[in-house]
Amino acid sequence: MESPCPRRTPSAEQDYRPPTWHMVATDMRGARMKILGISTLSKIGMVVMALVGAVPTVGCGGGAANAPPSATPAHAADVDDVAAGLMEHHRHHHHGGVTLIIALSLDTLGVSPEQRAAVEKIRSALHARMAPALNAEQELTAVLADGVAVGKFDPARVVAAIAQVSTAAAGVHAASTEALNELHATLTPPERAALVDKVEAHWSVWQKANAEESDPANPERDRLAMLATDLGLTQEQVDRIRASLHTKLKAVPQFDPKEVDAHLRAFGDAFRGNKFDAKTLGAANSANAHLAGWGAAQLASFIEAVSPVLTPDQRTEYVQKLREHALHNSSDGENP
Amino acid sequence: MSRVHRTGAFRRLACAVGIGAALVSSAGCGLEVGATFPGMGYDDYPPDAYIATTEPVYFEGRPAYWYGNRWYYREGGRWNHYEREPPGLYQRRMQGPPVRRTYEPSRGRSGPRPAPGHFGGRPGGRR
Repeated sequence: MESPCPRRTPSAEQDYRPPTWHMVATDMRGARMKILGISTLSKIGMVVMALVGAVPTVGCGGGAANAPPSATPAHAADVDDVAAGLMEHHRHHHHGGVTLIIALSLDTLGVSPEQRAAVEKIRSALHARMAPALNAEQELTAVLADGVAVGKFDPARVVAAIAQVSTAAAGVHAASTEALNELHATLTPPERAALVDKVEAHWSVWQKANAEESDPANPERDRLAMLATDLGLTQEQVDRIRASLHTKLKAVPQFDPKEVDAHLRAFGDAFRGNKFDAKTLGAANSANAHLAGWGAAQLASFIEAVSPVLTPDQRTEYVQKLREHALHNSSDGENP
Repeated sequence: MSRVHRTGAFRRLACAVGIGAALVSSAGCGLEVGATFPGMGYDDYPPDAYIATTEPVYFEGRPAYWYGNRWYYREGGRWNHYEREPPGLYQRRMQGPPVRRTYEPSRGRSGPRPAPGHFGGRPGGRR
């Protein structure tokens, strides 16, 4: 929308000072001093006119000095590498359920330097509480990588590894309540609101990343499409994987997001408030187990569908990528 | 009503009108309050992946995100943006681009990067 205010040149921006109430009051006094010889009602009218006319001029200067730069594509971030990397991360890491999402949200909360050490300590504590679930997830990925390497999976080992992820995730929230309460006490209300926004955003990305069907808006970000690029899969291989995947995913119970949605709503409402006790979030353990268990099962189905069609070189590369994922630690605070 | 009282009433009225005009003018051109943007399309707000990976700037008691040449903030469950960039946010933007977190290397092009639409920032950003 075009502003009615005139824009200033870049050189004029350097001299710009935002208008203050002091400046407005000074203008008002000046206007009154100049009209002392006129009748009272006229003075009032002129002061009003002067205020109405002068203030927008001052205000327009402020707004125009900060006019936005030339436009860039509004949707660039939707397909950027950082977003793609996050999608990939959410496809492979489910171990802490919602607690993992909360911990990830701390990475970019942008707290003040004074809070940073305390928040980092809480973040580390959350990841420590998730360690059993992370270990279970790493074990599952290792079992799957072994299966890809030899071209054959041990169903009993895979099922047991998936179950272990779910079981471990079920204990994460109970182990994390103290850290979550401390987090609430440490953050300011705007930071709490930002955290809830980020948790919801991660959850939305997680759902997109793990959706069976590709996103029509970003087909190149589909899990299989990305793997095809990474491994150099042919169209025939992709078609065979997709057909197999469709069949295998029928065996995985359909993910019902309602339980996680309800838990996230409860968490968000409580965390935005002044009083918060993570122990009151009764659905957390079940939601975490549901999210982590389903994510693990879906990951296993995907890898099992991919494995049979790979060439030896592709197989070697895929095994390496899976092992890298298994070793990747999202508690690492640095950009990988 | 006496002439004195009438004049006093007019003065108070004029003062109220003047202050009101000042507030409206400031809001419209300089300080800017959040408003929805009827012309915005469905996707004209920061994508979830952007919110999840980008540090906000805290301004006027809420987190704001620089995206697509605008500052966005959430209010009442929906995204709004500043029609005119507040001086405080302009100054923050000039200090450097927002920090973004990369979770997985993608196509060999990873690492912190300026937010889309950012200009005038230095590489690296704040941390």
